[in-house]
Parts: sequence; structure tokens; C-alpha cells
Amino acid sequence: MNCQEFWNTLPRQGREITGEQARHAAECASCAAQWEPHRSLAAGLQSLGEEWRRCEAPARVEAGLSAAFRAHGRVQGRRSAVHSWWTPVLAWASAAAAMIAMAAFLVRGYQPGAPKPQNVAVPHHTAQAGAEIAALQAADYDADDASSILGEGFVRLPNAPRIEPDEQVNLVRAEVPGSDIIAMGLAVSEDRASEPVLADFAFGSDGMPRAVRLVTAGGTF
Amino acid sequence: MNEGNMAQYSSQTDDELLFRLRNGDEQAFVALYRRRQGAIYRFAMHMSGSPSVAEDITQEVFLALLREECGYDRERGTLSGYLFGIARKLVLRNLERGRSDVPLETDTDEMGPRELAIIDDPLAGLTRHEAIESLRRAVHALPRRYREVVILCDLEELDYAEAAVALGCPIGTVRSRMHRARALLLEKLNQDRKPRLAVDAWKPMRYAI
Repeated sequence: MNCQEFWNTLPRQGREITGEQARHAAECASCAAQWEPHRSLAAGLQSLGEEWRRCEAPARVEAGLSAAFRAHGRVQGRRSAVHSWWTPVLAWASAAAAMIAMAAFLVRGYQPGAPKPQNVAVPHHTAQAGAEIAALQAADYDADDASSILGEGFVRLPNAPRIEPDEQVNLVRAEVPGSDIIAMGLAVSEDRASEPVLADFAFGSDGMPRAVRLVTAGGTF
Repeated sequence: MNEGNMAQYSSQTDDELLFRLRNGDEQAFVALYRRRQGAIYRFAMHMSGSPSVAEDITQEVFLALLREECGYDRERGTLSGYLFGIARKLVLRNLERGRSDVPLETDTDEMGPRELAIIDDPLAGLTRHEAIESLRRAVHALPRRYREVVILCDLEELDYAEAAVALGCPIGTVRSRMHRARALLLEKLNQDRKPRLAVDAWKPMRYAI
């Protein structure tokens, strides 16, 4: 090994020189003299590294991150499908399911061409129909269960099964006619029934809509 | 986390812990955090010069891991190198905002490579405490690009490949920066040990008589 090779293969700080390098250093006074401060520097940096290793982040950082992990897990549990590779499939399927569900509501509540039974009071507009449906469901309808699980403002849809606390729920935001929202029993002023309304729909693990929330200030429109 | 669980997780690799945490295992996240937080915190602190900035950066690094927003790919390097890479970007962002407590780039940063011609032992005659303190000052006085390789490779003992991932540069660049950083450290330590009169810096002064 010559001097050039010795310096080209200079070991990392904190590492001992190899046998061949040591032999060269023993033979070459110049390289040995130049290597000595490096060896000293290596030892010093090693000591400094050992001192520094006592230094760690405060415990509150771990506590904060653990809380963030738990919060992240809850959100991901609700929305994992939205962030997965089959997001577009789910979105379209959810939208289709929402439309079918809404159509079913409208067909049940208002059938222009169908003969009307004389002994049944037919609601004159969808707001009344929604109110009546909501009233009929009042016995087993807990408006707060959806809010407590999904977040503020969610109302369980009539006839929809209850959302279990550990159930995987997918949220889909969609713009729907105000009249459809009225049919679901939510408060929308009648003069704005024809306007589109932005709402969050919560779909259960069976793919059916379970709850709805208006995306407006105060949750009303 | 109890000791039994800790022992179970401590035997797992970073990638195994990452897989677990992405499947919602909080203990895996805590184990990975405890394994890597110290090095990230120290790197951030010695690059920024501020414990509070280092604390924020450590938190951000692990939040980024949680959010999977930076796209760790183990084919491109270790998780450790990846975490240091995030920390470094955050440090640089912080330094650009001018919140660093440490003087950084100096004119010497742009100087060409020098021969390693300093032959005195810079730490000779110093106590261990004095030597460490002297070295600490010298490391902090290094220009940023050299300081970061010294912190990563010498103090945190990353290998050159990991450091290259963290710094986003080829291994050869890490090697050459280390070479230059050693020369600068020796020079700085030598100057500190033997303060000399900077005769070259003296300029003639005119006195009004």
C-alpha cells in the first residue's frame, strides 16, 4: 500500500485502520504523523456521540403522538375505504346506492300515476311526508346515536339499521335536491326544496345509507 | 407498554413495526418511536440549535410517518435514513425561515478541498470534558452541509448509504463531504488550541496626528 492508497481508503471516524493501513503507517512516518490527529479526532467524536446519546425528546412528544395515533386510527377506521385503491368503485357504488335509496323513498311517498286508496291520507308535499315518516319512526328512532358515533350533525335515516360503534362506515359527500332531504325528515325550508343541498351520507358495512348530515352552517338549510 | 410487550416488539425490525403500525397497532408505533426518536431529536437539535424546534421536528417526522404522506419505499433505503431525510427537510425549512440559533453557512463552505496537512493532535492535553466541549463547538461551527454528515455518520453512526438516503445525494458526495468535514474540524480545533494572531487580517491604520 502506498501513501495515495492509504488516504484513499481512509477509514470512517471511530473506526480502526486495517492491518494493511497500520503496516503502511508503521513504515511511513509522514502518513503516521498525519493520521495521528485523525485518530485523536475519531476518539473525540466517539466520546461526543456517547454524550449526545443521553439526549432524547421529552416524554410529552410520545404522549402527543400516541394520542394522534389513536385519533388517526379512528378516522382511518371510518374512512379507510375512501383512502384505498378501490375508492372510485366504492364512490360510484355508494352514489348509486344513495340514488336508489332516495328513489325508493320518493316512490313510496309520492306516486303520481298510482290510484290512491280512499282511506289513506296522502301527504300533499314531501315535507309533510318526511315529517310523517319521521313521526312514525319516532318510537325506535334515536337521533343522537348517529351523532355520537359519526360526529355532530348526523341523523339516522328512517328505517336504517342502527350504526354499531365498531362498524366500518364510509362517508360520501353528495349534492342532492332539497326535496329529497325533506323526504328523509330533515329540516329544509319548503321554499328552498327545489335547490340542491350538499350533504354527507354515512354508508354502513352493508353498503346502505344509514345517516345523513347537511353540510351547511348549523346543520340546517 | 409493559415489559413483555416491549421485549416482543424490540426484536422486530423497523419494517415489521411499520407494517404493524399501519395496521393499527399502537404498541408497534410506540416501539418504533422509542427506537428512533432519540437520534431524530438529536439531529434536529444540533442542526437547528434549538430544543423546542427539535421537539417540533421530531413530532412532525413521526406524524408524517403516521400519515404515510411521504411515501417510504424500503427498496430505496432504510426507514432510519428515510426518517432522517424528513427531519432534514424540516430542519432546512426551519432554517430558511431564519429561526435557527446556530450560525450556519460561512465563506469557507465554498472553498475548495484542502490537503490534510495539520499534523498536531488537536485534543492533546485537554481533559475529556474539555475535549468534548471543544469538539461540540467545532461541530456546531461547521457549515451546514458538513455538520450534517458529521452528525449522521460520526455521532449517530449511520453508514454512508443511509446518510446518502437522508441527505438525498450519492454516497460519493457523503464520502467527500466527510473528508472535508474532518479537515475543517481539525483546523478549527487546532486554531482553538493555539490561538494565533491573525497577522494577515491586520490592515494599516492612519492616525491623525
